[in-house]
Amino acid sequence: MTDIVETIVNCDGVSVFYGENRAINNISIDIGKQSITAFIGPSGCGKSTFLRTINRMNDTIEGCRIEGRVTVDGQDIYDASVDVVPLRAKVGMVFQKPNPFPKTIYENVAYGPRIHGLARNKSQLDDIVEKALTGAGLWAEVRDRLQDSGTSLSGGQQQRLCIARTIAVEPQIILMDEPCSALDPIATSKIEALMSELSNEYTIIIVTHSMQQAARVSQKTAYFHLGNLIEYGDTKEIFVRPKDPQTEAYISGKIG
Amino acid sequence: MPLTKTEQIVNASLKARRKKERAFQLFGIAAIALALFFLVTLMGSILSKGIPGFFQYYITLEIELDRERLDPLGDLSEQSLFDGQAKKIIEEVVLEKTGAKSRNGRKAARKLLSNGSDTRLTSFVRANPSLLNSTQKVKFALDDDADSYFRGFVKKETPEQQRRLSNIQIEYLDKMNEDGLISHEISDYLFFGSASRNAEMAGIKGAAIGSVLTLLVCFVIAFPIGVATAVYLEEFAPKNKITEIIEININNLAAVPSVVFGILGLAIFINLFGLPRSIPLVGGMVLALMTLPTIIISSRAAIKSVPPSIRDGALGVGASKVQATMHHVVPLAIPGMLTGTIIGMAQALGETAPLLMIGMVAFIVDIPGSVTEPGTVLPVQIFMWADFAERMFVQKTSSAIIILLLFLILMNGGAIWLRKKLERRW
Ligand SMILES: Nc1ncnc2c1ncn2[C@@H]1O[C@H](COP(=O)(O)OP(=O)(O)OP(=O)(O)O)[C@@H](O)[C@H]1O
Ligand SMILES: [Mg+2]
Repeated sequence: MTDIVETIVNCDGVSVFYGENRAINNISIDIGKQSITAFIGPSGCGKSTFLRTINRMNDTIEGCRIEGRVTVDGQDIYDASVDVVPLRAKVGMVFQKPNPFPKTIYENVAYGPRIHGLARNKSQLDDIVEKALTGAGLWAEVRDRLQDSGTSLSGGQQQRLCIARTIAVEPQIILMDEPCSALDPIATSKIEALMSELSNEYTIIIVTHSMQQAARVSQKTAYFHLGNLIEYGDTKEIFVRPKDPQTEAYISGKIG
Repeated sequence: MPLTKTEQIVNASLKARRKKERAFQLFGIAAIALALFFLVTLMGSILSKGIPGFFQYYITLEIELDRERLDPLGDLSEQSLFDGQAKKIIEEVVLEKTGAKSRNGRKAARKLLSNGSDTRLTSFVRANPSLLNSTQKVKFALDDDADSYFRGFVKKETPEQQRRLSNIQIEYLDKMNEDGLISHEISDYLFFGSASRNAEMAGIKGAAIGSVLTLLVCFVIAFPIGVATAVYLEEFAPKNKITEIIEININNLAAVPSVVFGILGLAIFINLFGLPRSIPLVGGMVLALMTLPTIIISSRAAIKSVPPSIRDGALGVGASKVQATMHHVVPLAIPGMLTGTIIGMAQALGETAPLLMIGMVAFIVDIPGSVTEPGTVLPVQIFMWADFAERMFVQKTSSAIIILLLFLILMNGGAIWLRKKLERRW
């Protein structure tokens, strides 16, 4: 049933602990290249925690510990020799709440390329910024106000700015943790359209509370419950014929 | 419509609740009223004493600036002016104006002018050499006793033995006043004078410059160290027993009496390192020790108030921890850090005790030109003046307090302005 062409992220027996608390319990999963994978499940089941293991953002949390193996492009990212800086350049992240830097729109997008030294001069940087903003579907709206503060944009625009900021470093994988939860339906549909477009180039993993959103945008869906991966498969299959009774109960609105 | 059960219960308790609220409000208003009363009393007493201290009485005399007598060597050098007869020339004019003839009368008349009059005349000559050999009007300060007479502190009705001016002196002063020689003006000595035992000549310039130098040293040392400590503790330090102990100690240090820092400074900077006493450098270092906890605590609060989402955003695009901190967290926290620093410095500006410990209480006439020259600071100057009994010192003490308060208001205003100006929204 799995028709993954090529695996980019492979997790093998991953468990995550916050102090003594086990938030993720022995999860193994393969995620395909250039596709959209949705993580769904009731609140507190560990979707965010699991998503954050893939770019090691959990490292910033005091007392968070991980067991098992996570590989990206075949490389064990928890190996002692791995530096998180290039890893996070490769695995970008868009957060639940839009969090642009309180700097200009231009600086927001230019920040990543600048610290990684992706542009050799100003005009190259300009090009990268334009390309990223175009990719995020924001260029037309902000081309005349690049020097305005990023925080002066609307919520939906801010979230697209954050997406532009992420794709400006040309990652391979983009992790999105409920990127539309603070947005209205119109802004949401814009971002969904954007995701579909981006999936031609990038691998996208999205956490969402909206069944419809998962059904609309993703090719694969993983259902989490209390730190366990209950079911993982083609989105169509999961929504039409869930194999596990828990998945079925959640999708039909009985657990939530 | 009948009331629901909840409504009935709520209504029954309303009266008691209202009463409590009113009592609480009354208590608050009473507390504020009391505070206001003390504030008004304090300000009233300081202003009523201090404002007259900004003025003093001057006498304007026509002086013949005879070059032969004032500048015998003819080169306007300090030595030459010192050898000259400035004092004698002024006295001659005073004797003429008072009409003092008798031996006692002449002695009494001479004491009416400030001791600093001859210095004032020689500086006038030095500043205006082209006026030599002409007759000019020059203004001299009255001696503080004579000054007190015009202020009404010395009264004619008091028996002669009980007042500081003799009958004949009062007569001379009245005469010169009738002749229009006496004027009441803003005191230039207060602002441009330095420490002096003569009340009419004493001023705050030396102390003010000492304060500025001391605070400068304090800022240069305390700000970078405080900010670096705060950034390290907030962003990089592991959370373990050791950092916990350090944190607790920093918080406790903020409550340590300032005089203790003075003793520490005396023991370390002066006795151990052998730095000289009384210099603004040591004063600034001691005050830096004292303000460090304030700066660290407020800087940490400023860093904490930067939303974690900003950090995550930077880390998410692959910034290293140091980059996320330096590019995003610190710039956003700087206004808060500066505000805390200014408040800490304002505290340091008003500090007396630790500076007494390191000898900044010495009687120093020279104005410090650098941080390694002995000096004193405003609050210590106030402390010293408050010890003198002369009426004029009492007033000048209050004047200096007003000036110190103005400095404080200025600094706190600066802190508010900075906060408003640099405040960012996210
Ligand atoms: N920083 C943390 N420290 C301690 N425990 C945490 C932390 N973050 C999450 N947890 C715990 O880990 C579990 C999983 O949390 P997580 O945030 O991953 O859930 P989630 O599926 O993303 O929920 P939601 O849909 O509400 O965002 C929860 O029980 C939560 O209490
Ligand atoms: Mg979550």
